[in-house]
Amino acid sequence: MLFNSLTFVVFFAIVVTLYWSLHGWELRKNLLVVASYIFYGAWNPPFAALLFSTTCMDFWLGRQMAKAQGPHRKRRWLVASVCMNLSMLGFFKYGNFLLQNFQWSLARIGIVYQPPHLDILLPVGISFYTFHSLSYTLDIYRGVLQPTRSLRDFVLAVSFFPQLVAGPIVRAGDFLPQLRHPPRLKAGQFFWGLALMTLGLFEKIVLADTLLSGSADRVFDYAGPLVALDSWAGVLAFAGQIFFDFAGYSICAIGAALTLGFHLKDNFRFPYAAIGFSDFWRRWHISLSTFLRDYLYIPLGGNQVRPFRAALNLVIVMFLGGLWHGAAWTFVVWGLLHGSYLVIERVFRVLFEAKRWASTLPVRVLAGFATYAAVCVAWVFFRASDFTIASRMLGGMFGQHPHGDAIFTTRELLQIGSVTLALIAMHWAMRDDTFETAIMRLPHWAITVIGAAMACAVIFTQGNSNAFIYFQF
Amino acid sequence: MRSSISSFKERLRLPRLFFRKPSREEQIHGGPPLEFERPIPPAPWRGIAVVVIIIVIAATTAWELYCRSLGYGPTLNDNEDLWTLWRRRVAPESIVIIGDSRAWFDVDLDEFQKGLGKRPIQLAMAGSTVLPALADLADDKNFHGTIICSVVPYLFFATPGTPPMERAEKGIKRFHNQTPAQRVSEYLSMPLEEHVAFLKPDDLSLEAFLNQLPIPNRPGALVPPRFPPYFQTEDRERRARMWEKCAEPGSELAKKIQQIWIPLFTPPPPPSYVPKDVFFAQLNEGIQKRFADVTAAIEKIRSRGGKIVFVRFPNTGGLKDLEDRITPREKTWDPLLKMTGAPGIYYSDFPELSGFICPEWSHLSAGDSVEFSKRLVPHLRAALKM
Repeated sequence: MLFNSLTFVVFFAIVVTLYWSLHGWELRKNLLVVASYIFYGAWNPPFAALLFSTTCMDFWLGRQMAKAQGPHRKRRWLVASVCMNLSMLGFFKYGNFLLQNFQWSLARIGIVYQPPHLDILLPVGISFYTFHSLSYTLDIYRGVLQPTRSLRDFVLAVSFFPQLVAGPIVRAGDFLPQLRHPPRLKAGQFFWGLALMTLGLFEKIVLADTLLSGSADRVFDYAGPLVALDSWAGVLAFAGQIFFDFAGYSICAIGAALTLGFHLKDNFRFPYAAIGFSDFWRRWHISLSTFLRDYLYIPLGGNQVRPFRAALNLVIVMFLGGLWHGAAWTFVVWGLLHGSYLVIERVFRVLFEAKRWASTLPVRVLAGFATYAAVCVAWVFFRASDFTIASRMLGGMFGQHPHGDAIFTTRELLQIGSVTLALIAMHWAMRDDTFETAIMRLPHWAITVIGAAMACAVIFTQGNSNAFIYFQF
Repeated sequence: MRSSISSFKERLRLPRLFFRKPSREEQIHGGPPLEFERPIPPAPWRGIAVVVIIIVIAATTAWELYCRSLGYGPTLNDNEDLWTLWRRRVAPESIVIIGDSRAWFDVDLDEFQKGLGKRPIQLAMAGSTVLPALADLADDKNFHGTIICSVVPYLFFATPGTPPMERAEKGIKRFHNQTPAQRVSEYLSMPLEEHVAFLKPDDLSLEAFLNQLPIPNRPGALVPPRFPPYFQTEDRERRARMWEKCAEPGSELAKKIQQIWIPLFTPPPPPSYVPKDVFFAQLNEGIQKRFADVTAAIEKIRSRGGKIVFVRFPNTGGLKDLEDRITPREKTWDPLLKMTGAPGIYYSDFPELSGFICPEWSHLSAGDSVEFSKRLVPHLRAALKM
């Protein structure tokens, strides 16, 4: 079920009404479990069974781990949980990718092998709910979380419908404590939640789908060489599209959770105003970057090791982060590019951080724009379905096709330009702020006008229920 | 003695997480569960919500009234979910109409039911090529019914990757992969579309308005072709009827659409990045392949006892001249019938089917479509040996 669909509007209205009409907390939690499974099953009912079975396994493994005496036994249960989750992810998401690469490797040494094509349907949101579930056993092993006694609570923590299929990646340790007592709505919480949902839908339907996605698709689907202006315009359109699409989903999820009394953490914090790549990853898909930091980067030694090893750790983490997004080498290159950016940034920091000029405003702004440009270059690999398209795009961006085609109309160029400028200006204006404090500074009439304008725009735009980009991950 | 896991770790260099307790730093990062609460900006949210709702209702009502004043009326939108709904209803012996918008506008289901003894299922799709639907029916092992297939050669031979092919493939894909949520959405949206006039994404959406902005284009820009504005209604059976405003004699809307058909039916120049001879060779190869694929699909259907008849529906005016020039009958229609061995009805071969005028050159008015269907039925019965 998509947030931007009529089905969801009806579903959500029914769930919220029933939820706040029920008196018992246990009853409400049961309702949320049923609603979450209906939400998920509305894509493909059999996959709801898969979700339930992996959740039950992790629940059981978590309990076994807590009961186990001694670190070795605990480790075995952890290894079992990690293997179970990653093998599930590996089979559904990377099965065909691994087979294709195996075939390619054999062909390099002269062995012709034709693997069967596995007709595997990717369960929607598997990368997200696997991480939701995995965080539970990892935290129990680390001793920072006590296993819950209630299977129902754990099932709800993994499958809570607002964050189930496209994040934010909510750790069990952040969600389970909220299930202990019935939530009490703070003043305005319900309507603030609805306001956030409206903002999220506005970002998705109006900004991502209507103003940017068509242009990004035209450029990346175009089979010929493009001039630099059109290539850059297409990439900027995608940079905006993916932000509005994913941040829109996250805001909807946070808003929907708030209306039900739950608190989810931010997943984005004005990322296109980042100065440097470590700053970017503190602002972009925060729930994934903190997950990778806490469960992978720090255990690998983080930056508390020799510089070369620390750099290698960064590259390994970003390599896996890239692969997490999709079973394709283009995603791996995207991850490796970001890994390299982080390493280069480290070197720059060592060389220049102490210099006085490095912290002056012009340098910081320049560094911010350089960061944005480099992030856009990396987006080429994220969006392109193969390396031929990626290299054609990069060729266009860096002036290799001066006589290439110009496919955008003037109106499209103006549209991409104005949305991109507005996006970047907004991010810079709010980079050291939170969204809530920015709202607090607005007069009430302005909040009302903005809210009504966004709601009207969503209704009049008549989105075509495009799926969110991150659903495929 | 060292544990087996420790030596395993040494060999594989697995992350240390699995083999040691978390440091204090990690505990802080990874988080002992923190009681996290999102800040709620202090504002009179209830009052704001009430005012927002009032503004939204007022604006929506005003917009609806304005759209109605322009002549727009409530009608269903043709989309892949509605198409899927009817594709699902195809029974083994159904009569199915496939093809482009001419079969969609020009066929009256009541007349066909009276004449053919069975109510046909309307699966023709505006601006689409027929192969995906035909191949899908051919692959449906249960289907051994009758297919009435409209042929507009420019669409019929559309190559893969072009909008007519993508549109048709989208419908088939939705039929095979439709989720329960998409199905429910269709059932929920139908009553809304039947009562609200502004729900027309092709015409009255933000995107449609942006496309109409009179901004001059830079030289050489590849401007996508314009599509005709709203000029039809559609009911739950997917029966399209031309909007009366378009069917009126001397209609400005009809004239506007006529001028849209011409560039839309004019083949675009070969892309700059493919040599001309290669492009035309590929095009020719594509046409031959289309003949072969259609023939193969028909063979499959026939082997199960199914039947097919091709129909060329009327076109008039400048569009007829253009179509006759770019897709002449002897290079498209005649070889199609010859290769497939299927019967065909070309409207201009029969005086009783020829006298119709298409107001916007491509489709019949709602009234004429009833009369045309009545006159077409005996020809269909003869062609299908019914």
